[in-house]
Amino acid sequence: MTAKRPNIGLNIILVIYVLLSVYPIVFMLTNAFKDGMQTAVNPFTIAFAQPFGGNFIMAWQAISPEFYRSLYIVAISVVGIVAFAMLSAYSFARLEYPWKGFLFNAIFALLLVPGFLTLIPLFLEIKNLNLLNTSWGLILPYIAGSQAFAIFVFRTFIQAIPGELFEAARIDGANDIQMFTRLVIPLSVPVMVTIALLNINGIWGDYVLPSLILDPSHATVAVAIANFQPPQDAPSLNAGNMQLAAFAISSLPIAALFLFLMRYFVAGLTSGGVKM
Amino acid sequence: MSNYLVAIGSRIGLKSTSKQRRKTIQAIIGYSFLLPTFVFIAGFSYYPAVRALNGAFTSWDGFNPPTWVGFSNFQQLFSDSTFISSVRHVLIWSALGIPLAIVPSFIAAALIFHLKSLRLQYVYRTLFVLTMILPPVVSILIWQEFYGHSGVLNMLFSAIGLAGLRHDWIADPNSALWAVILKGFPWVIPFNLLIFYSGLQSISPELFDAAAVDGAASLKRVWYIEIPLVLAQVRLLLILSIVGVTQDLLTPLLMTGGGPGTSTTTPVLYMYQTAIQYDEYGYGMAIAFLIFIVVIALSALSMKYFRVEQ
Repeated sequence: MTAKRPNIGLNIILVIYVLLSVYPIVFMLTNAFKDGMQTAVNPFTIAFAQPFGGNFIMAWQAISPEFYRSLYIVAISVVGIVAFAMLSAYSFARLEYPWKGFLFNAIFALLLVPGFLTLIPLFLEIKNLNLLNTSWGLILPYIAGSQAFAIFVFRTFIQAIPGELFEAARIDGANDIQMFTRLVIPLSVPVMVTIALLNINGIWGDYVLPSLILDPSHATVAVAIANFQPPQDAPSLNAGNMQLAAFAISSLPIAALFLFLMRYFVAGLTSGGVKM
Repeated sequence: MSNYLVAIGSRIGLKSTSKQRRKTIQAIIGYSFLLPTFVFIAGFSYYPAVRALNGAFTSWDGFNPPTWVGFSNFQQLFSDSTFISSVRHVLIWSALGIPLAIVPSFIAAALIFHLKSLRLQYVYRTLFVLTMILPPVVSILIWQEFYGHSGVLNMLFSAIGLAGLRHDWIADPNSALWAVILKGFPWVIPFNLLIFYSGLQSISPELFDAAAVDGAASLKRVWYIEIPLVLAQVRLLLILSIVGVTQDLLTPLLMTGGGPGTSTTTPVLYMYQTAIQYDEYGYGMAIAFLIFIVVIALSALSMKYFRVEQ
């Protein structure tokens, strides 16, 4: 009897809590389907302007080059991050050579260097290298900036692979490089995917560095939606609604990732736990 | 190096064993696997970091070579009224923003944890995590819209008969800072919620059974068992929040640009503006240097304080 009652109260509070938390998403989606008049009259209702979804078509026209550019930058950066970090992590986890501990600490120390500290020198460096307004001006710092954390996670993972597997491979005549390509890489796919997803999320949403490195005609999607310019033939009254549609479009890849990953993410964070 | 040693060894009559050769080969592979990482971080991590620490003591327009000025950037900072007010803003922001990053997320986690049905617990966690699909840029800009003259907030005030409170929240210097800090209502941060939830899960069930036998009510259980036993999570999130608030360049840059006037300028934003907008790169790097030192000191302090507490 008493055990049941408090749950109803909890559920009511939680439902209100959830609704308020997701309201920005609801606001974005409902108003992206309206026109400027409908939003001005009442932003809380659900209504559909004619033609249905027209704002999305206009928004896509406005941001599609930036959308593709972001995809390109994310793809190359993430491949570089994962590939180079895996090589280093394997080297640290499985091979023996002089100065290994020092080199590892030299990378580990980078985790203490915050992004804002290097922002200005990085900008000046990219400028001096004549990489302003190029995708490489972002890709190179992204690859460098993500190495430390990725190496740290990969190394922990590789160290946890049972030693017998390596022993068996050695008996079968595998050398250090073959053990990397045929044993470590296949076993590390889950952790590689995790690191890749984290970086996709971070790079896709990054605003500060791209807004410095790229001018508006070379922008990434996160910058383009912030400085949203509707297509010239679009009714200016609906510009705000088109921007909301652009927000929704830019959130789509991340939403897809999360739907695919949610179960794993929610479970992963809660099962391992943070032991401090 | 090792190859060379092996060669010397064989010349002076020591037999180069296969074990030695394997060691040499392993070192070569080991170093060459590290090579790509080090090429990248040397160019785009170490170099800018050294440049940042070094540049704090220079006067530099970003075009002509920098000139060494010692501590004069820092002296100038302490009498720079914009910088001083930016420090005040970040202190207010921390005092309010750090509890807001921790308390509502804990409440939500505790509410979920107190549900009997594990299935419902999973559903609520998933719903809260759903908010992560909005990129930070989008959620900041949507909140900017909420605060606007004909935004959702003002409409709500009109609807409940408080039209007198209607207000352009981020265009008024008296309310802009508060509006920026209080964005994101009801402040449940999915990551923090999941950290707390996992902390609650790791509390031994026997403790709850004992409390139930003693007839402790839910609130007592929260106060005497759950809060003391998630202090480790609180400490982690405290450090992350301190770092997060002081480093947050995106929110003020995008939402207000520090304005109106300098009413929402934070040190990180001021660093950005001096360097990018006024071409005073040395001065900007001095601000970055100072924030860096303070953040490291604060993190170390909060770590130490909470260890003693436990």
